[in-house]
Amino acid sequence: MSRQASGLMAWVVQRATSVYLAIFLTYLLVHFVFNAPAGHAALVNWVAHPVVALSLLLFVPVLLAHAWVGIRDVLIDYVHNLGLRLGLLTLVAFTFIASGLWGIKAIITAGLWG
Amino acid sequence: MKISVYRYNPETDRQPRMQTYQVKTFQGMMLRDALLEVKKQDESFSFRHSCGEGVCGSDGVNANGRNVLACITPVTELKEPVQVRPFPGRPVIRDLVVDMTRFYEQYRAVKPYLVRKDPLPEQEILQSPQERDRLDGLYECILCGCCSTACPSFWWNPEKFHGPAALLQSWRFLADSRDQATEERLDALDGPYKLFRCHSIMNCVEVCPKGLNPTRAIGRIKELMLEKGL
Repeated sequence: MSRQASGLMAWVVQRATSVYLAIFLTYLLVHFVFNAPAGHAALVNWVAHPVVALSLLLFVPVLLAHAWVGIRDVLIDYVHNLGLRLGLLTLVAFTFIASGLWGIKAIITAGLWG
Repeated sequence: MKISVYRYNPETDRQPRMQTYQVKTFQGMMLRDALLEVKKQDESFSFRHSCGEGVCGSDGVNANGRNVLACITPVTELKEPVQVRPFPGRPVIRDLVVDMTRFYEQYRAVKPYLVRKDPLPEQEILQSPQERDRLDGLYECILCGCCSTACPSFWWNPEKFHGPAALLQSWRFLADSRDQATEERLDALDGPYKLFRCHSIMNCVEVCPKGLNPTRAIGRIKELMLEKGL
């Protein structure tokens, strides 16, 4: 294993995820501006649609992977104290994993099973 | 014209200060001429310069917030009062003279020379006109340092990030058909620092007095890495 944190792979992940994010976020924006669900039932109905549910489930890890590379870049750039940087990276990682799991649970329980 | 220059002697001054001088202009006057005029008025003022025609790359300064070569910057292009400061992010030795050691270390680190594994031929190694064309926009760099010292990534990590000037030269040798160390060069650029601190901010492209494009060169290196790595 390389002794270094990834350079090329992180960059590729950031670029690839940005393509999905650009397309899906545009869809979300257009959908919620022009065809916003009228109430909770309509929202659940929308989430329960298999294509939407799958896109949302994919959106969670893609967004978090993209954000991870970005936050890691910011911390590498600006936080030079190794202990502080490691601490912040760990904190961000745990927060991301927790929010990711929570997001996926919400899509499944409130949307698909709702 | 009014010209305000950065004055600092770390040995005697506690703080840097800006000092204003009145300089007589003439037609075709460059910023370097104005600095020489200041030097005439106050010989304690220091700045680097040599060829006076944008070839040696010695007189890079920050004029009105932008890195320029003083010798090819007409004073008429600068809004008064002209503020001349040293390159940002580098330790000041005195007035406009900065310590460029890190910059040269990063340049050295990319092995800016042809590496051949085959025995050298008796005569020159030939290139096709197309192969030679790939070096255009790369070999012209005069290492003035305007780009790297305008790069925020280089400000934050000058000891680890190669910076635009060195990376432009890295691509200059990766793109050279006569070079035989592509794999080694790419391996050496691995990791999050040397190459990948570049976030395509493009200050380098904005300030290069030779009109070169380090961001594009860095993009080419990443493409080549992808090609070899995936």
